Amino acid sequence: MNVTYNWLKEFVDFDETPDELAALLTMLGLEVETMEKLGEGFDDVVVALVEEKRQHPNADKLSVCRVNNGTEILDVVCGAQNFSQGDTVVLAQIGAVLPGDFKIKKSKIRGEESCGMLCSEKELGLAEESAGIIVLPPAIAPLGTPIFAALGRKDTLFEIGLTPNRSDCLSALGIARDIAAKLGSKLKYSKSALVEGTQTVESLIGVTIESPELCPRYAARHISGCTIAPSPEWLIKRLNSIGIRSINNVVDVTNLIMMELGQPLHAFDCDRLSGKRIVVRTAGEGELFTTLDNQQHILTVADLVICDAERPVALAGVMGGLNSEIENTTTSILLESAFFKPSAIRKTSKRLGLHTESSHRFERGIDIDNVSRALDRAAYLIVELAGGVAAQGSIDVYPGEYVRPAIMFRPVKANELIGINLERDVILDILTRLECQVSASTDGAVEVIPPFYRIDIEREIDLIEEIARLNGYDKIPATMPIARVVSDRPSRHQEIEKSVRDLLVNNGMTEVINFSFTAPDAAVKLLLKEDDPRRLAIKLANPLVDEQSVMKTTLLPGLLETVARNMNFRSLDLKLFEMRRVYLPGVGDDMPREPLCIVGALSGSRDGDGWSRPTEPVDFFDAKGIVETILDYLDIGGVSWRTESPESYFHPGKSCRVFAGRDCIGSVGELHPSVQKNFEIEKPVFCFELDFEKLVTLARTKKTIAAPSRFPDSSRDIAMLIPEELAAVKIIDCIKAEKAKEIEHVQIFDVYRGKGVPEGFKSIAVRIRYRSYERTLTEEEITALHKKIITNLVDKLQVTLR
Amino acid sequence: MREKLEQLRNGALQAIATASAVEQLQEIRVCLLGRKGELTALMKGLGSLPTDERPIVGQLVNTVRDEIESALTAAIESAQAELIADRLQSERVDISLPGRRPLKGTKHPVSLVIEEICSIFAGLGFSVAEGPEIEHDWYNFEALNFPPEHPARDMQDTFFVENNLLLRTHTSPVQIRTMLKQKPPVRIIAPGTVYRCDSDATHSPMFHQIEGLMVDSKVTFGDLKGILTVFTNQLFGQKTGVRLRPSYFPFTEPSAEVDIACVICGGKGCRVCKNSGWLEILGAGMVDPEVYRHVQYDAENISGFAFGMGIERIAMLKYGISDMRLLFENDVRFLRQF
Ligand SMILES: [Zn+2]
Repeated sequence: MNVTYNWLKEFVDFDETPDELAALLTMLGLEVETMEKLGEGFDDVVVALVEEKRQHPNADKLSVCRVNNGTEILDVVCGAQNFSQGDTVVLAQIGAVLPGDFKIKKSKIRGEESCGMLCSEKELGLAEESAGIIVLPPAIAPLGTPIFAALGRKDTLFEIGLTPNRSDCLSALGIARDIAAKLGSKLKYSKSALVEGTQTVESLIGVTIESPELCPRYAARHISGCTIAPSPEWLIKRLNSIGIRSINNVVDVTNLIMMELGQPLHAFDCDRLSGKRIVVRTAGEGELFTTLDNQQHILTVADLVICDAERPVALAGVMGGLNSEIENTTTSILLESAFFKPSAIRKTSKRLGLHTESSHRFERGIDIDNVSRALDRAAYLIVELAGGVAAQGSIDVYPGEYVRPAIMFRPVKANELIGINLERDVILDILTRLECQVSASTDGAVEVIPPFYRIDIEREIDLIEEIARLNGYDKIPATMPIARVVSDRPSRHQEIEKSVRDLLVNNGMTEVINFSFTAPDAAVKLLLKEDDPRRLAIKLANPLVDEQSVMKTTLLPGLLETVARNMNFRSLDLKLFEMRRVYLPGVGDDMPREPLCIVGALSGSRDGDGWSRPTEPVDFFDAKGIVETILDYLDIGGVSWRTESPESYFHPGKSCRVFAGRDCIGSVGELHPSVQKNFEIEKPVFCFELDFEKLVTLARTKKTIAAPSRFPDSSRDIAMLIPEELAAVKIIDCIKAEKAKEIEHVQIFDVYRGKGVPEGFKSIAVRIRYRSYERTLTEEEITALHKKIITNLVDKLQVTLR
Repeated sequence: MREKLEQLRNGALQAIATASAVEQLQEIRVCLLGRKGELTALMKGLGSLPTDERPIVGQLVNTVRDEIESALTAAIESAQAELIADRLQSERVDISLPGRRPLKGTKHPVSLVIEEICSIFAGLGFSVAEGPEIEHDWYNFEALNFPPEHPARDMQDTFFVENNLLLRTHTSPVQIRTMLKQKPPVRIIAPGTVYRCDSDATHSPMFHQIEGLMVDSKVTFGDLKGILTVFTNQLFGQKTGVRLRPSYFPFTEPSAEVDIACVICGGKGCRVCKNSGWLEILGAGMVDPEVYRHVQYDAENISGFAFGMGIERIAMLKYGISDMRLLFENDVRFLRQF
């Protein structure tokens, strides 16, 4: 809502400066979003008197003037012809800057000195075109007065961001009313001394409401013999100052009244209304109607239309029709001022995508009590500006007059809830200032009837808010609540989530956050099989763009896009993870499931740049190592790594699924080269995925800790050749199968292929550390056990010792 | 015998004096004092002496041995000290080379801010609650007093999915879910992801909020002001000015926008605060009785407040980030700075 400082002053007296008023409005909940000083910066453009005017000696069309600016007399060369000696004019003095960054400097024009410029309206940006310079009324202001001050154009425009509940402030009057209530000053209503003609309105027009539930009140006046013409200067300026373009005198009046009083009006060309009557009804299904912006609409039975005897002439509360709008030749007018049901207007406006200043007000609710006041003032101004005669009386169809129910209000409750301690009288005075009717009731409570324009006030709590608001939020003391103690230990889920995030970060991983939605073809890019449940993504009904139109069923697409984007910026060493929800459709009527997942991606060198070690590229085992670290941290047992049925988006020879017992809890692998290509990723990427919800279920929080043995250890190594197909883990399993409690630790410390190792084989070196809890083991004992283990390996796995 | 001892002593002391390396001195010790050493051999010869001389000579042997022993110890110590001094003199590292450190990752700024805010409120006795992001209209709007067709719904451009479900437009539905589950006292904070179909330099279709809710027997609007003052002071520094001004949310009444004194200019006015000196950081208010009605709380006997804030906005203010899009581009050159 736009309103200016000077305009508000017409309705209420106040001493506040524009800055102070802006602060006051903001603290009333009418937030001043921007403040624009109008007529600022023209202080060097002043009122001046032409003392003498003579012909320029070297140019026929120029004159040289002696101009008095109040302090000195200057020579100014001027090209305009429309003024004479003794006229009061507008002088742009040296140093002034005119629109278009035009600086006024001392100059010589055809040999004559010129200390300034006499201005036209166009040069000051006051008009599009102007013939000649401005000639002001004599003695408009003392010489030297800045021009905008002299013209009363110095003003401040406030752009107010209104909350949807404050429809009463969609007018200058409404905002002034809140200022008056805050300051305790009186509101001044604008003038409307309409002089009516002798012909009665009923003899000229008629109004029938067929849908009173959608149109509870419809008032109209008739004006004949008027002349459509451009609006006068003051009206154009007022509308321009709040950003509305002038159209003609009649339409401008309806717009002005809407901005002034908050009542949208519509003026019909009465001669174009068939039967000279208005019927308010709902539209027929499929009925066609062309609004005055020349758009054709197909209406439904839910749309309210204003009709003449034959056809719709306006879309009620939204926009008038092309068939009845005011034209330059219009002479008789039917002026409408009505109240339409907010939800009906909202539905129509929303369905047709027609949002107008009028619909904006109707759908939020206007003051039903203001309908005839606005009609009368508009008729008065139309007669003033366009001439003509207003018919005697007005039509006002208002079948079921609105009565506002009283609200039971307890001043004590207001103090209690707000946390203040105002006297009862002070509280009741605030309500009176808000134009509420307050009458005494029982038990200290009062009955309050709010004014019609405050449709947002319906309950006691609404009145309590008004007390807090008018008294001032800044006057409420900040206190600490008195509260009961409740247990607030974070849930297991929250604790594990935080610790796993910490763990990943402490292991060199950087967290990313991507959007929860992705492109529909993400599943295709990941090569997901046709029957993969992750293809069943939840779709958005109204996505912004196709690439963000389905909810993610896996976090991989976002992470892979992040990898590609970073590689494009030459960040090639990446260790990224994302810990977010995925969205899986619910079964039947169930809500969708939103399990938390973890994905990670590694690429580039393992340790970053270093001077002391050669940089090595990351591989499968870096990704697997991160997963092991997490599983180990959560003490998840029974973990196995399985290569059957690899994920479609991983390299089948370099990936596996992770199981804990029978539960598949995730997967690890190198990205499939085709997927890498689909996501336009330059370098190999190693990923892991974990189902966080399963980790939480499986995590063991109670660890049993063993005291270390106090006896010495002894390590023995075994080097062997095994076929490529034999998984290294089988060697470990075979050694551990011996179940000797003297085996403290088994570790693979070398895997080698190449020189000395036959094709199809790999060399594996294992170190076994022996130690007892009870005593120092003898050489003989260890040798015996070690031999047994070697025999097992040779017998069961057919390894070849090296 | 005495002469032999005297000779041995002099010879030994001289040898010790001329030896410089630790190994040489160790060798001398073995030659003289070892099991097959010269002094040991002399000791063995004691038996051949007359009985009355034995104690005297024996004592003499001991004296000589002690003398040699202490000379050796002193010489070894000084040789070792010299060795250390040599090492200290000659060994050097270029300490300007970078240290070898384990790779460090970083949390996303949104996670950092959520953790910080949750920990501030944990200190005030608020526990963390969560709820679904794909929500029913009822929890996201109706129970929060946004009736169908209400203009306030326009404030929140909503993404819809099938079955009357939508992507929650705020974390406020968690209020409803919490109150339906438990009776007062309630003290929760609910961080989460929210969605609005709006995208430009200052809006992202996905962003994060933190919701707070406190309901107890006698909670006032002044208490809301108190809690938010403590919170903003802990988050942005002591004595950060806080201002509440009237606003409107369907689910709170009275409602307030909460501003803090601009952390960039300190309240003098700058580009970030649009010269107002204030920054809007959260919305708040007393829980509307209509909300209590939906969760079957008795509005007459309890009261409470709710507040909600945008995490991205706070992250941007805390870290001086001017473009929200940076938060979701996930450029590691940006992320690694946190
Ligand atoms: Zn600032």
